[in-house]
Amino acid sequence: METSMRTKVQAFGGFLTAMVIPNMGAFIAWGFITALFIPTGWMPNDFFGQLVGPMITYLLPLLLAYTGGRLVGEHRGGVAGAVGTFGLIIGAQIPMFLGAMIMGPLSAYVVKKFDKLIEKKVPTGFEMVINNFSLGILGLFLCLLSYSVIGPVIQQANNAVTVAIEALIKTGFLPILSIINEPAKVLFLNNVIDQGIYYPLGMQATLEAGKSIYFMVASNPGPGLGLLLAYSIFGKGLSKKSAPGSMIIHFLGGIHEIYFPYVLMKPILIISMILGGAAGTATFSLFNVGLVAGPSPGSIFSYLALTPKGNFIGVIAGVLVGTLVSFLVSSFILKVSKEKDETFEVNVKKAKEMKQEGKDTLAKKLENTKDVNPINFIAFACDAGLGSSAMGASAFRKKLEKEGISIEVKNYAIEKVPNEVDVIVTHKNLLDRTRLAWPDKRIVTINEFMKDSNLDDLLSEVKELYK
Amino acid sequence: MLKKFLSKNIQVLDQIETWREAIKIAAVPLVEDMSITHEYIISMIENVEKNGSYIVIAPGVAIPHSRPEHGVLKTGLSLLKLKKGVMFPEEKEVKIIFVLAANDNETHLELISELANLIMEEEQVAKLFLAKNEAEALECIN
Repeated sequence: METSMRTKVQAFGGFLTAMVIPNMGAFIAWGFITALFIPTGWMPNDFFGQLVGPMITYLLPLLLAYTGGRLVGEHRGGVAGAVGTFGLIIGAQIPMFLGAMIMGPLSAYVVKKFDKLIEKKVPTGFEMVINNFSLGILGLFLCLLSYSVIGPVIQQANNAVTVAIEALIKTGFLPILSIINEPAKVLFLNNVIDQGIYYPLGMQATLEAGKSIYFMVASNPGPGLGLLLAYSIFGKGLSKKSAPGSMIIHFLGGIHEIYFPYVLMKPILIISMILGGAAGTATFSLFNVGLVAGPSPGSIFSYLALTPKGNFIGVIAGVLVGTLVSFLVSSFILKVSKEKDETFEVNVKKAKEMKQEGKDTLAKKLENTKDVNPINFIAFACDAGLGSSAMGASAFRKKLEKEGISIEVKNYAIEKVPNEVDVIVTHKNLLDRTRLAWPDKRIVTINEFMKDSNLDDLLSEVKELYK
Repeated sequence: MLKKFLSKNIQVLDQIETWREAIKIAAVPLVEDMSITHEYIISMIENVEKNGSYIVIAPGVAIPHSRPEHGVLKTGLSLLKLKKGVMFPEEKEVKIIFVLAANDNETHLELISELANLIMEEEQVAKLFLAKNEAEALECIN
């Protein structure tokens, strides 16, 4: 029981990674565009700067939503995920990353459940019409729902964050602010907390003292740098390889958003961000330093440009301490979890093995020998997947229904057979093409799609398994 | 729906020498009612030449067809019933030929669904095999 819980948690971690990693390229493209072309970037350019907002508001969350949905329910799930998430995107004023990572898979799950529900009731031949319309109508509702719900949710989150931060400020102990800052940043509330709370406070303080630490409590680029450093050394696969590029965008370009995905794919890393942020702020307090204005974007260059005379050592020390602490804690977390959960691929393999184990136990329960593989999903495949295979699948499904067996039987073009299939039925003339597309699958060849002795054998095999 | 499509498109003949001829003749009503062009007939024959007779989907029953872009003008179905079977490649004897022409997916899929149901009804098919003329054949179609 415990191991299965652990495997589940790991599989969930793997799921988050699988949602983020394939999209890192898009994040990096956006990061460079932003770092280069925004008004405070390296080569400000109004024309190219137009790309920044739409990319982070629409493109990146939609990619996450599509990828998350696809993990749950193939391409159809991906489409459902993107449609369902679009309501969130329009309804929220901030980039909806976490929302996309929830709504994407959730929408796909809803559609998948619906498909299961109606599957046996769809008359052969109507699948395409019903599939398109069911996805369209479910998507409509998911989109409307997420659109209406998200506005108030974000408003509440903003209020909660504001109240919490104001309470923490009253304690007078600034490092504690990181507990709110870092999660809020990763949830893309960074502009709310910086421009809504810290910068006004900072400006007041600056009027009196000529500088303020409030400009630095949430914008310190150190912790993010530490996290990315840890990933470039102890990460694996694409997250390791993309981390150095992200470092440039984050630390030199000041685009903190680029490190958020690295936290989202391993949420426990928020601890190292909090500790790094707190250590940085503590160091700033210790040296009694501040900045003269809000650093935007929060790059090391803006920091140094806004540091008043005599404060350089303290500011640099705070950034370095933040980097170091976050690096050490992140490295520790990454190393420990690496040993525990190995790679994502292993997770997936494990999950599959577990599933297989489950199926095997089921098969055993149905008093069968070990070498018999379960059959839950049979695909009929032909050239276009519309003519002969459709008739074959329809006929076989009817025969199973007569026996009271409910397993999935569907028709496809050979190359479009989904991966979960247990057995592929195809015409013997199409065997080579099928074998080429599906080298590892069990393939049953037949002479005639609607009536064939191999089909009769397959039917009795399934009957054996389920009776 | 089957009945509506087939009411004017059934032929019952004694004998045809080759499967190519059989497909051509079976498709004639569809050319006449402007459902398909001659190109579609050629394409159906090429399909069998290339992929073999996987269109023979049950003993004695073939559904020659091709893709919509190969000359379908509108969705249609025709039936040719032979008293003496014609040989398709791989020694498959066929007495019932449904020529399927589809240009939009929805109608096409409904047709396929109904056709599959018909071919699974063994009694109906047995009757169809014995039909002596167009009227008798049409009676077997629901």
